This record gives sequence, C-alpha cells and structure tokens, in this order.
Amino acid sequence: MILPEIVLASPSPAAVPGAGIFTSPLILSLTIWLPVAVAIFMSVIPNPRNRYDTVMKQIAFFTNVGILFILFVAYNQFQTFLPTVQYEEKLPWLASIGATYHLGVDGPGMTMMMLSGLIGLTSVLASWGVRERVRSYFCLLLLTQAAVNGAIAAHDMFVLVLFWGAAMIPIALLILGWGGPRREAATWRLVGYWGLGTAALLVAIMTAYAANGGGSFDMDVLLKATLSPRVQLAVGAALVIAAATRLPLFPFHGWARDVYSEAPLGVSVVVAGSASRLGAYLLLRALVAANPAAARLLAPFVAILAALTIVYVALVVIRSVDLRWAAAYLSMVPGAITVLGLAALTPLSIAGSVLSTFTGGLAAALIVAAAWTLTDRAQSRSLQVLSGLAPRMPILTWILVIAALGLLGVPLLASFPAEAMVLFGSFKTQPVGAFAVVAGLVLTAVALAALVHRVLFGQPNPDAPAVSDASLGETWYLGLLAGALLWVGLFPGGPKLPGTDQTVFDPGLLNVMAAGITDIASPYVASTTAP
Amino acid sequence: MPLVVLTPLFAFVLAATSVRTRRSAANMAMFGAVVMLALSLLVAWGMTRRTTPFQVTYPYLNVPVAFTGPPNFQGFGIDIILRVDRLTSVAMIVMELCVIGALAWHRVMGRSEPGAARFYALVSAFLFAAAGALVSYDLAELFAFWGLAGAVTYLILAHRWSSIEASRSGQVALVLPFFSDLALLCGIAVIYSHYGLQNIGTLVPILHTTPGVGTKSLVAISVLLFVGVAGRLALWPLHAWLTSNARSSPPAGSAMAQSVWSVVGILILYRLMPIISASNAATLRDLVYACAVAAIAAPALTLFGNDPRRALILAGSGVAAIGAGLVIHAYAISSTTLAVVGVACVLAVAPARAAAMLAASAITAAMRTDDMAEMGDGWRRMRASTVALLLSALVIGLSACGALAFGVSSSSRFGLAMGEAILLVSIAAIRVFFAVAIGPLRRRRAFEPDRVREAATASLSWPYWLATAGAVLAVASLFPAWIGYLDGHKHNAAPVGGILVWVGAAALGIALTAAAFVYDKDGALRASAALGRWLDQVLGIAAGLLSRFVYEPVLAITLRINDLIPEGDGELARAAAASGRLALAAARLPAVPIVIGLAALLALVVGIVSPGVFR
Repeated sequence: MILPEIVLASPSPAAVPGAGIFTSPLILSLTIWLPVAVAIFMSVIPNPRNRYDTVMKQIAFFTNVGILFILFVAYNQFQTFLPTVQYEEKLPWLASIGATYHLGVDGPGMTMMMLSGLIGLTSVLASWGVRERVRSYFCLLLLTQAAVNGAIAAHDMFVLVLFWGAAMIPIALLILGWGGPRREAATWRLVGYWGLGTAALLVAIMTAYAANGGGSFDMDVLLKATLSPRVQLAVGAALVIAAATRLPLFPFHGWARDVYSEAPLGVSVVVAGSASRLGAYLLLRALVAANPAAARLLAPFVAILAALTIVYVALVVIRSVDLRWAAAYLSMVPGAITVLGLAALTPLSIAGSVLSTFTGGLAAALIVAAAWTLTDRAQSRSLQVLSGLAPRMPILTWILVIAALGLLGVPLLASFPAEAMVLFGSFKTQPVGAFAVVAGLVLTAVALAALVHRVLFGQPNPDAPAVSDASLGETWYLGLLAGALLWVGLFPGGPKLPGTDQTVFDPGLLNVMAAGITDIASPYVASTTAP
Repeated sequence: MPLVVLTPLFAFVLAATSVRTRRSAANMAMFGAVVMLALSLLVAWGMTRRTTPFQVTYPYLNVPVAFTGPPNFQGFGIDIILRVDRLTSVAMIVMELCVIGALAWHRVMGRSEPGAARFYALVSAFLFAAAGALVSYDLAELFAFWGLAGAVTYLILAHRWSSIEASRSGQVALVLPFFSDLALLCGIAVIYSHYGLQNIGTLVPILHTTPGVGTKSLVAISVLLFVGVAGRLALWPLHAWLTSNARSSPPAGSAMAQSVWSVVGILILYRLMPIISASNAATLRDLVYACAVAAIAAPALTLFGNDPRRALILAGSGVAAIGAGLVIHAYAISSTTLAVVGVACVLAVAPARAAAMLAASAITAAMRTDDMAEMGDGWRRMRASTVALLLSALVIGLSACGALAFGVSSSSRFGLAMGEAILLVSIAAIRVFFAVAIGPLRRRRAFEPDRVREAATASLSWPYWLATAGAVLAVASLFPAWIGYLDGHKHNAAPVGGILVWVGAAALGIALTAAAFVYDKDGALRASAALGRWLDQVLGIAAGLLSRFVYEPVLAITLRINDLIPEGDGELARAAAASGRLALAAARLPAVPIVIGLAALLALVVGIVSPGVFR
C-alpha cells in the first residue's frame, strides 16, 4: 500500500533535455531503507561458527556498491537547472503533530548524498580487516549509513531529528564494541556531545514549531515561516550549537580526538567523512536558508568560531605527540572553512561552503584514514617513534602528502575551488574572519610541514618497530578518497567533450551543487547599487 | 601555445608514473624542458610578426550562484586564459634556459643526490606550474599555478629530507612563502569581493568606475598583491626562504628557485601594476620606498656573514628589488612605458643568479666549506668555476645599470637610493669572487688543499652559458630596440651619461671590494664574520623574545585548553554518572518508610525553627 502512495505523492521533476530520464520516486527511500533491510537480513541469517564472515563483508560491500550506483544514477539524472527539490517522496505519517515522511534533495542535498555514498563504500573497504563479530559490525555500519542518508534526504524536520539522533546509536555501539583501549571514554564523549547537539536541535525545532503555530514539521512550512527576529535568534543559536557539536567546532570538539583515535577505521571514516558533515548541512538548511535574520546576527560569532577552530587545531597539532590525535584535530580544518563560508552569507561563499562540505568530507576522511593506516602499519602512534618512514612506505607517503595538500587547498585538488570560493566570497562581509582563517591556514601549513617532515622524511628511527607499506586493500580505500579529491579538482564542472560544453559521463559536481544554491542564497544577494 | 604549458606536465606524468632510474628521469626532464624551449622559441618567433598577443581560453569552472543582484556577482567562474605577449615569451625562454642549465649541471654534479627520479619529476612539475603562472591572465588561475609552483618549490628545496638541517630549513621554505602566497590570495579575494571579476583585461577598466569601492579597499588590494609577489621575488625581509636553504637544498634546486621565481615574480608584478597603481600616489610611493629599502638592505646583509651562496642570493635579491622598484616607480611618476625596464633587468640577472649559484656550489663542494674565510686560491686550483663565478658576479653587479639609465634620474632621492643599492649589490656579488679566487687555501682538519680539483668537465660549461645569457640580456637592456620589442612601445635611447653614472657606481663597488681584499682579505672576512656573529646574536635574542613572550604562552594556553576540555567534560560525565548512581540507589530504597521518615524530619525541623519552641 505504501508504494503506490509514494508514487502518487511524488511529483516528477520537469523534463529538461539531457536529464531526468530516470525519475524513480523511490531513489531516496532506497538509499535509506536498503541498508536497513540488508542489515536486518544479515542479522537473521545463520552464521554458524562465523563461517560466513566473508560473505557478510561481501554483502555489505555490494550493498554499498548498489547504493552508490543508485546515487550515481540520481546524480547523473539530476536536473541541474531546476532549483526545486527533486526525487521527492511524501507520505502522511503522524498527522496529529504534522509530521510527514517527506524526502527530497536539491543541489546541496544531492552533493551530500554522493559524499555519503562514496564514504559508505570506503568505510566498508576500510573495515575489511575486522575479524571479531563481523556480522554485528557490518549491520551497525549499514545502519549508520542509513541514518546519515536519512538525515540528508529528510525534508521534514521531525524526520531529520530522528535520523540525526539515530546516527549516534550505531556509531556509539561500533566504538564501544570494536574500538581501541580507551573506547569507553570515546563512546561516552561522543554520546555526550552528540546528545547535547541532538537536544539543541530538538529545542530549535520545537521552538520554531511552536512559534509557527504547531501545524507542521515539513521544511516547506517550518523553514519558510516568518518568525520574529527574537525567535529566529533563539532557534539559530541552538542550531549553531547542534552543528558545532557535530562538525565539530571549538569548543565543542571534545569527542573528536578520542573517537577518531579509538574508533575502528571504518567508523572513523564514516564519522569524519559524512556523519560530521551533517553539521554544516544543518546550518545551511535550517539557519542560512530558513532564518536570514538570525543568520546575519550570528554570522560574526560563527566566523569567530571558525577562526578559533582552525588556529586552535594548528597550535595543538604543532605540539601533538600522537599521530592519530594530530589527524583527528586536522580533520576539523575543513569544517572551519565550510562554516566561514556559511557565516559570510554571500551567494558565492554559500556555494563554496556546499562544495567545501563535499571536499572537506573527503579530505577529513583521507587524513584520518591515512594516519590510522600508517600507525597500524608502523605499529606505533607516537610521533617520537614514527620517523623517516617515506622510503619504507611510499604508497602511504603519497597518500599522506595528498591528504595534507588537500587540507590546505592546493590547486588540482577539489579543496582548491572550494576554499577559493569560500575565501573569495567571504572577504567582503567577514574580512576579519577570513583573514583569521587564512592566518590559521598558514599555521596549519606549519603544523603539517612539521608533522610530515617528522613522520615521513626525518631521520629513520632504528629502535622503531618494523613497518610495512599499505596493502592492496588499504590502497583501494585510500586511493578512492584521493582519487575523488583529484577528479573533482580536475573536473569540477565535469569532463567535457573537446570544443563543446557537453559533459561526458559526469555532469559535474559544481553543476549539480548549484541547483538550489540560488534559492538558498537569494536573501543575501547584494543590491545592484553597492556591490 | 597550450603545448608550451602542457609539455612539462606530460614529462612530469611520465616521470612520476614510469621512470625509475636516475638517467632516464634526467633525460625525461631535460627532454620536456628542451621541447618546451623549442615551442617557446616558435611562439617568440611568431610574436616578432605580430603585435597582438596569442590568447586561448578554456573554462575550468563556472557556477551560477544568484539570479538577481549585480551581474558580476551572479556567477563565479575560473577560466584558464593562456595569454602570451612578447614579454611573456621572452620571460618563458629565460626561465627555460635557467632550468635547462641547472638540470644539465645537476646531471653531473648531483649524481650523489638521493631520490633522483623524484627530483627530476618535481622539476618538470615546477616548470609546468611556473609556465602556467607566466601565461595566466585570470587571477584565480594565476593563483592556482602560483600556489602549485610554490608547493613544488618547497618539495624541491626540501629534497634532502633525511637531513635534519634540510628538514628544518625546508619548513621555512614552506611557511614564509606560503604566508606571502596567502597575501596574494587575499588580494585576489578582495578584488573579487569588490568587482566580481578576475580577468585582468576586463578588471582594469572598471577599477575606478565601480561604485562602492573606495581608496581604502584599493590600497588594501595593492599592498596585499605587492606582498604576495614580493615574497616569491625574495625581497628583503621575505628572502629567508631562499637563504635558509642555500646550503641544505640541492644547488640546482636553489638555482632554479631563485632564477625562475624572480622571472615569474617580476612579470606578474608588471602584469598586476595596473591594479596596484589604481590605489593612490601615497601607496605607490610607499611601495617604491619599500623596494628601495629592500634593494639596499639585502646586499648590505651580505656583509654580515661569510656564506658565499647566501651572499649571492642576497645580491640577486637586491637586483630583484631594484627591478621591482623601477616597475612601481614608473607607475608612480606616470611613465608607465618605462616600467618594462625593471622587468628587463630582472630577466637579465636571472640566468646569472643561477650561474653564480652553480659555480659557487661547485667551489664550496670542492673546498668543503661554506665559510669564505676558509676559501682561496680558486683562480689557480679551480679556474673555470672561478671565472664563471666572476662572470656571473659581474652580470649581477651590472645588470641593473641599463634599466636605471632608462628609468631613473641619478639626482633624485630614488636615484640616490638606487645608486647605493647598485654599489652594495656589486660589492656583495664580487666579494664572493675575491674571497674564492685570491689568497691562500689553508690546510684544515681533514682537509688537504692539494686535493682540491676542478669540477667535472661536463658540468663546467653550464654556468658559463647561463652567465653569458645573462650578460647578453644585460647588454641588450641598454638598447631601446630591445626594450621596445619587449613592450611594443617606442623608447628613446638611454643617455650615455646616465649609463656611465650607474656603471660607475657598480665599478666603484667592485674597485672598493678589490682594494679591500687585495689589501687585507683575512681582515675583511674577519670583520664580516664578526658582523655575522653579532647579527646571529641579535636574531637569536629576537627569536628568544618572540618565543618567550608570544609563541610559548600561546602554545601553553592552547595546550591547557586542550587538556581542560577533556578534563571538564570528564568531570561533567563523572558528576552525571554519580547522580545516576545516587538515583539508582534511591530507587532501591523502600519508598513509604522513607517518605514517612522525611515527613517526620521535616516536622522536627519546622518545629525547631517555629517561634516559641526555643525562643
């Protein structure tokens, strides 16, 4: 009964030549419920004496390949000139409180979905080395991905907060069950901070809901309601706290160090790559797009948070003694840049932030994964032990260098156009924040140079344990992340046939992302008289 | 024309993916550079027959961000605009000559360098990025190539990663220019935020006609762009990224970095001058002053210390500052057509800088010291390298004379400053030659002077060729036809008297140095060593103060916060857990007796405090 209703309730996107040929109304639900269904299936099939552990891994892998394929089809068929929500699904759910099962993505949402798909596949590949309780691990990993996809695709605030909070549970269980020696502390820190963020999000949504008369949680209604500036400010402040705990931003970053260093690699990749990017996505959706008055009022504070985060990270990394900790802190840098763009509130900076969410997710996941793999292969996390590893691990050396360059936004990598757009768009409205972030980037370069020199190119340590380079499997997941960074850096608008504007195979992340940006940024367009 | 830029990229890709041996890597890099030179010569030949530049445009990214508001801000795009005019083609040829010379020298003299395949691959990447920056006409594209060239420069300079000294000085090569590169990025970002354009051609006409853009913004833009370029030109005090790597990086890498970046930097400064000059007269005057101070300070610093390669780098930096000062000065006095003479002088000095670096490196390697006080007798023992050093020092000392004769009155204040600069530059450059060439080469511990031999024959000619190219360019810069070819304008001949005055200033410097070294070489070098020690002490104190009062406190605060946050949330978590345990324990107690007991306790308390019980 549900399927026909979804079909009936889903408006088909308008036909634009070259896109929209494939308009299945179930695409978004598939990306959410397919992993859930597979997780349930995996949890009930018999697995005597763990005989089918490899099969479990393969099931999780092919599920993610399938999701990525579905998402790629959706991405490929996305109508880039249509600013409205696409692949929409709407079902009545809790009519008494006005909650509906409403999904849909615009340009930024599609970009996030692609990020989540890529990160999901990477996380499964990165988890291939899991040996204990394999079935439970991959079930929880699939549930995590489902929750992240749900939070991205949700077009109803009630659904959003459910998925937002739900993402925390499997991640916490994964860390608690498969983490390192300090896994309990890591888990409770994650639960504490993310719980605080979820509470703040709930407060924001309930405030907006109550101020709007309590009729509906639908984003089309709730986020387009005209709230008084005071209510907007209260909602905005709560949203900033929710986002800051998730991204994370200083001083709400207490979970990051422990989680990224203690969680299993696949979980770290998911958290750094996609789950934490939800913070920026929430700010974009619920603050920038919906509450312009609050966004303007809070912008200087948000810019200060971004600047503080990046400077703090650089200073801590300079004195860090643990490579995984250093990588955990460094993974906060892209989030700060994204948030600067959202604080600047110009169309270009907002567009840059959306692109930065994608590229930052990749760069953060890459640095965390590279550091994790390197410490695993070198049998030590201590920066006093790790030294001069480059000759003995050339693949990991290249990957770590690419990750470092990706964080800094070096040309040819995807983070370059993202950072350029954010900075170009920010200097007019947030000059101090932009300068501070640039200064923070300089400090980050110092910290990264010191780190890379020490670990890779310093004098080899004769007392260090034996090291080995990345295996083929490790090269695959690291290469996937690095390759995506390079691909988008080389072809942000998609590869084009020579001499034409016709894209081949990939419509271009920028083109897809731009659909919807114009709507979101419309309140912040400068007047024609004073550019 | 795109092939000119793409050729080194192909060489890099091939070298990075399929080349493993030292010889094949060297051949691949050399092949890329030579093909690039041939293509550049072809373009330059084409440019002799036309006055308009070659230009091709490829869209890199284009994203609509708004449908309303000012048209320039409705979308954002970065186009890859490749534009080659005569000046650019000459600059590209000079750059390629420097790289080819350094590569050829390195094939022989750099045999023992580790990671040969990596080095040669990086050289190809460097050439690609530098060529891209030279031909860029879109500001974002310019920064992309500029940043890429900067990153590769760092990798080249920090090539000897396993050495601690190289590792430390490599960090300076990353951080200091990264700071100035970000100033350039900020400048470009401020330009975009005000104008919504990045194409230099379309930007310049609207600099003053765009409403809402005031002088303050234009001044900020000018200063940021200047700092961005000055960092890579290695103008004092932003020269440390080159001098700190003078000894620790491969000599060919250092030679390429200083010569190629001086070419790229001066050309980009020249290209950005229409934007920089849009600020106001006071800003231009201040920038000219900054260049004049840099032109004097850099060569003057060579007297503080006895490192020959540092001295040559600083002398070259002085000439680059003179060139930059001339370019800005021409705009300050509204004689914009004279700006090109500043570029011509830096183009002339670039090959000489590379030649001097290579020759000096060969000599320091043979004499096994970086202290000029321990060098000597080079004229007898290493004549070929010493003569190459002499030739390149002369070119460095004299290369600015033609440009100054064209662009500056020697009686003006700027002229006086330039006169002082050219005097100091000639002293700084020729001093190295005298220290190496004359006087005894003394026996030291584990060093036998009689074992000093000339560098390998196959490497000897390259510094000569480079110095000769520099000399040719320096002589050409005296002729108005050459200056006219570069910028497409007609120029009057430089006054002979002017040329003589500037050459006289340089000759005076050479003569003074010769006199001092012939009279008492050891005394002169002892004095500069003492000055060097004093400078090191001052810098050490300054660094100590900076560390004591800025760096350490900031780090301490950060680390304290870093500890405080987990401690704080840990305490919070423990408090929450304790309250939970308390609640759990309370839940286990029998509820009714507890309530009765609490009620009795409450009644007792109320009774005690009620009036009349105790009072």
